[in-house]
Amino acid sequence: MHRRGVGAGAIAKKKLAEAKYKERGTVLAEDQLNQMSKQLDMFKTNLEEFASKHKQEIRKNPEFRVQFQDMCATIGVDPLASGKGFWSEMLGVGDFYYELGVQIIEVCLALRHRNGGLIMLEELHQQVLKGRGKFAQDVSQDDLIRAIKKLKALGTGFGIIPVGGTYLIQSVPAELNMDHTVVLQLAEKNGYVTVSEIQASLRWEKERARQVLEHLLKEGLAWLDLQAAGEAHYWLPALFTDLYSQEITAEEAREALP
Amino acid sequence: MAMSFEWPWQYRFPPFFTLQPNVDTRQKQLAAWCSLVLSFCRLHKQSSMTVMEAQESPLFNNVKLQRKLPVESIQIVLEELRKKGNLEWLDKNKSSFLIMWRRPEEWGKLIYQWVSRSGQNNSVFTLYELTSGEDTEGEEFHGLDEATLLRALQALQQEHKAEIITLGDGRGVKFF
Repeated sequence: MHRRGVGAGAIAKKKLAEAKYKERGTVLAEDQLNQMSKQLDMFKTNLEEFASKHKQEIRKNPEFRVQFQDMCATIGVDPLASGKGFWSEMLGVGDFYYELGVQIIEVCLALRHRNGGLIMLEELHQQVLKGRGKFAQDVSQDDLIRAIKKLKALGTGFGIIPVGGTYLIQSVPAELNMDHTVVLQLAEKNGYVTVSEIQASLRWEKERARQVLEHLLKEGLAWLDLQAAGEAHYWLPALFTDLYSQEITAEEAREALP
Repeated sequence: MAMSFEWPWQYRFPPFFTLQPNVDTRQKQLAAWCSLVLSFCRLHKQSSMTVMEAQESPLFNNVKLQRKLPVESIQIVLEELRKKGNLEWLDKNKSSFLIMWRRPEEWGKLIYQWVSRSGQNNSVFTLYELTSGEDTEGEEFHGLDEATLLRALQALQQEHKAEIITLGDGRGVKFF
């Protein structure tokens, strides 16, 4: 290599050094990325190993299932993602929720005749457990909510309405706006609601209250009772706790078949 | 068949005793009432009733719940049952009625099946023999009240499967 002029050479060296520093910066970031990626891969492998080892546990134990899914969420993995994939294939976790979704739809269809398409989570839980029989895997309310969220995402008309510390599950795409929802929440306490109650608790005009109740009647979610003390009572079969654990009648079961 | 009567969930649901304004809900309500009336009468072996009796019967009057179906609504339920063929008015004033948990045609079919099965076509029976004779013990129509039996036989007569005849001072039937 023949010598360059000191001036030109020095500048060139400097430039080269600068370039190398810059490159090094890039190399560093790349390095970090590679490391993180390796860590993530390891994490994923560990999670897979964990899942494989505890497959039975995950299938049998609802609490364990919640923890496992929280872990997956942390690394941005959705074990319920539809379609084939490592998770659904290996664990059959996808199948579990798919089957549960089908059961939920069956129960809701069978009871729609009674409650107009609204059902308390507790009642849904009881009926699903009944349908599964003694030897099936245990199913928690958390499992139900996850399955319903999936159903909701698939555009099946399902909805989840928070009421009194729990949830009302809507299985018919009835139009329910904020006003309706709020009245449902009010009704949850006694299973019925009146115009006066709405006026007192929500401070609404009589007309607004009346319109909501009319809508609930129209949607088949509420029944009118003119023999109650004082004023008309509007009862919701979905909230009528006496109905819980009542057998699904043969008639209702027939309604559930397409 | 003795079994304790199980009230359907609607019976404990206060609005069940108010005629529903929503058409679809009302349809469900009336269907449930019709079903309830028929199973109640079947279990209590009640084949006829007056409207007055009905009003005060636990059937339409749930004392514990403090709800009773108003008489106008009872009339609507009874009219539904009549349209379905399970009820017949016994007088012009519509004050008393015959209630048949199985329609006469259905009873007729069962009776005729028994007749054929036991090879007794072309035999003659008194009404008594059919409902209370030894031979029919165990058959569903055993113990059937005369009014309903007559209507069942009339249905068969319409189909030319039987003929109601006079036997002594009573009535009988010949099967073909």
